[in-house]
Amino acid sequence: MTPSVELTAAAPGTFPHAVPVRAGQVPAQYTAAAEAAGFTGKAETICDVLGGARRELLLGVGDGAGTAVYEAAGAAAASHILGAPRLAIDLRSLSKQQAISCLTGAVLRAWRYEALFSKPPEDAPALSRIDAITDDPALAKSWARQHAVLQGVTFARDLVTEPSNTLTPDRFVARLERLAEAGVAVEILRGEALRQAGLTGLLAVGGGSAHPPALAVLRWKGEFDAPRLAFVGKGITFDTGGICIKPADDMWEMRADMAGAAACAGAMLALALRKSPAPAIAVLALAENATGAASYRPGDVLRHASGTTIEVVDTDAEGRLVLADALGWVLREKPAAIIDLATLTGSVVTALGHEMAGLFSNDGTLAAAVSAAGAAVGERLWQLPIDASHRDEIRSDIADLRHCSPKRMQPDACQAAAFLREFAGGVPWVHLDIAGVESRAEADERHAKGATGFGVRLLDRLVRDRYEDPRRA
Amino acid sequence: MLDVTFAAPALPAKGALVLLVAEGAAPAGLWKAADEATGGAVGRAFAAAEFTGKEGQTCTILAPGAGLSRILAVGLGKEDSLSERRLEDAGGALAAALSREPSAALAADGLTGAQAVQVALGAALRSYRFDLYHTKIKPEDRVKFAALSVLTGAADAAAAWPNQAALVRGVFITRDLATEPANVLTPVEMANRIEKLRDLGLDVEVVGPEKMAELGFGALLGVAQGSVNPARMVIMRWNGGKNGDKPLAFIGKGVTFDTGGISIKPAAGMEDMKWDMAGAAAVTGLMAALAGRRAAVNVVGLVGLVENMPSGTAQRPGDVVHSYSGQTVEVLNTDAEGRLVLADVLWYCQQKFDPRFMVDLATLTGAIIVALGHEHAGVFSNDDDLAGKLLAAGLATGEKLWRLPMGREYDKLLKSDIADMKNITGRPGGSITAAQFLARFVNEKPWAHLDIAGTAWATKDHPTWPKGATGFGVRLLNRLVADHFEAG
Repeated sequence: MTPSVELTAAAPGTFPHAVPVRAGQVPAQYTAAAEAAGFTGKAETICDVLGGARRELLLGVGDGAGTAVYEAAGAAAASHILGAPRLAIDLRSLSKQQAISCLTGAVLRAWRYEALFSKPPEDAPALSRIDAITDDPALAKSWARQHAVLQGVTFARDLVTEPSNTLTPDRFVARLERLAEAGVAVEILRGEALRQAGLTGLLAVGGGSAHPPALAVLRWKGEFDAPRLAFVGKGITFDTGGICIKPADDMWEMRADMAGAAACAGAMLALALRKSPAPAIAVLALAENATGAASYRPGDVLRHASGTTIEVVDTDAEGRLVLADALGWVLREKPAAIIDLATLTGSVVTALGHEMAGLFSNDGTLAAAVSAAGAAVGERLWQLPIDASHRDEIRSDIADLRHCSPKRMQPDACQAAAFLREFAGGVPWVHLDIAGVESRAEADERHAKGATGFGVRLLDRLVRDRYEDPRRA
Repeated sequence: MLDVTFAAPALPAKGALVLLVAEGAAPAGLWKAADEATGGAVGRAFAAAEFTGKEGQTCTILAPGAGLSRILAVGLGKEDSLSERRLEDAGGALAAALSREPSAALAADGLTGAQAVQVALGAALRSYRFDLYHTKIKPEDRVKFAALSVLTGAADAAAAWPNQAALVRGVFITRDLATEPANVLTPVEMANRIEKLRDLGLDVEVVGPEKMAELGFGALLGVAQGSVNPARMVIMRWNGGKNGDKPLAFIGKGVTFDTGGISIKPAAGMEDMKWDMAGAAAVTGLMAALAGRRAAVNVVGLVGLVENMPSGTAQRPGDVVHSYSGQTVEVLNTDAEGRLVLADVLWYCQQKFDPRFMVDLATLTGAIIVALGHEHAGVFSNDDDLAGKLLAAGLATGEKLWRLPMGREYDKLLKSDIADMKNITGRPGGSITAAQFLARFVNEKPWAHLDIAGTAWATKDHPTWPKGATGFGVRLLNRLVADHFEAG
């Protein structure tokens, strides 16, 4: 859950108040406290003034340029008083964009997942309401739009956190009801429909589980007719690795292996809630990669709907198989461009750690646009190569392709991208390998622990910046 | 090294003739002459072998007549997209195909002088061999190809060759050093070999452990202390530029063998660690190439040479060392030793020489292979301009680089509880955090770090290098210098 936000002209009351402060501009009434604490307004510092009629948080924003520092300041405020039920933030010295950023930071930082506690722990966060003090009547409209986006982020984070015994492919589909309520057309392919569509990868990967796979197609109509922007998400609700089973250590983290699909669903919810004029489509490949008597095997050869044959090398490289099916399926919709998101490889974590997601593309213009959107919302991306040696490594002796290399110490993220590129049909395409950024291992001032919802804000921003003008679309 | 000479276009009376054929091109010049002299054998052979001049295609016609032992045709691909790279690769392909011929004539009459030189460069680079330790090579296995006569009417070709030959010699020095086994190539032996480069006009200074201890090279010496083979730092200087011009600086990691130390490596594949000095070897080869072609620039090359061994005197995980910069390092893994060696050499370099920039090369991390594979080396930099020039030089020479990010979020991971930093951070972003470590020793100088762990050694043949040591970095950095730092 996240706290509600009320825009208000004043917030009388004794609950904590936060005030952004620029470097060297500490308000007169706090100078003594600030001096005692060594607080000058430097960015990413905070001064907690206790002992007055109410608790005051001075949020350092440095020179106050840009918006990122305000998002960090809002997060820091929430992080400091998470145990308090209510927080006021004084936004009156901020521009509209800065105010939105500050609220965004606070709301995202205060997110938590409480559904499974029978009794919340004593130190559980309590922040449930933020009073946003503003004298700008135009802020409400901007906030409503951003609130829609944040609902999308929360939707994705909740899905990523939900354990796999309740979040099966079918239950994931049930959760999409929320999108239907918001006006998104939801179409689900299961069983025979998957077979008829030739989605052999999805059927093979999901074959070992008692919970059958599904392909979810989400369509947002928008306001004009144009080729749609397409999102494709990997939705492995749990990944045991299949027959090539994973080591037990940390295997529980694999409940988050549907974060790509969650991000796509969250982005579609955001577009619907804020009534984006741009038409969009998302295709989610939902399956559980289980070990079972009907599991697919290493060495199996699958025939993709496009006719391409694929030799399965490692059943734990299942994500690229279900994505290949989803990519192939979405091509029939003749999309303007395709962005896929997937917690795809450990290799990308080795390459980039937990600060950035890997970006791969067949189109420089689209890659730049996606990168710019990521930078604008603080979901950072770094492009990695797909070179000839990566493509060479996925040649098979007995089929058109093999889906991964059998060797150790491989640039698997790049090779996986080379594999996916074969199924993008030459349409401008970006693949985001979000393994490593979908969850955070530790909380800090800026970030909550756990699911990040990485990708929702980025996709929303991309649509807003590049796809909402019918003349350009 | 392949003996390359230049001669006017005329059909040779004997021996081997090489034709370069663009896809779909019609016979002309020496090609046409050869076809006529052999009674149409060339045209018939091309038709029978379906040789059309596609990139990478070759066709060998044995004893075609006209006194020739063979005609070798090499496809160049489409003429309108003929690049330096394809010309070089064609040169490499011809060298690979001619192992039985002691010499050959290359019909380069359809090429410009610069293109002909590019083909010769490719042939020379590919014809590298390291036969020192084969005591019995059967005559039929011995590679005979030793001389290439380039038939061209372009007057500039012969004049352009000596600089390329100097470059090839530099690459071969690098490959020899990387290939030498570690029982032969100790730090002392590598320093000795570098001293021989004084013959090229390089100024060479060798610094031993006593002097390094006096300076306070605690990080480098900590790595070296487990081995009976003492450490060396070698400083090479080439003063081809104006007096007083600040030098460019190149720094190389030279771990002559890396067992991992007390944090010992698994046995499988450990033999590869003999080339954990490929960065130092590249700097050495580069300095030799620049001196060999009398480059008009001031350059310093510094290599830190150590052997990383487990022993009773080896440093332990948990040790804290004082680096030359004054910063302390908690050594949590003795197998992250390359950065410790580079730390002291980088700091010394910027302090002693105040260079315009520093570029270091190191087989630094396995993570770079998992990130990028074997086609691109990773480049990390605090300077976009320098990084851009390096990326461009990489594309121009085929020694390709891919830039990876740096930033304070990664730097933060180096925090140690008891020292200024620790030397490892764990698997995520492993190459980036290694670069962040180095960045703490460059003192804000413009700097780039090339992680060449995936590109210094090849497990299969490439058009311009046989499998084994590639010499990666020499051509790249020579090009960087030539394109940007020798003008005027």
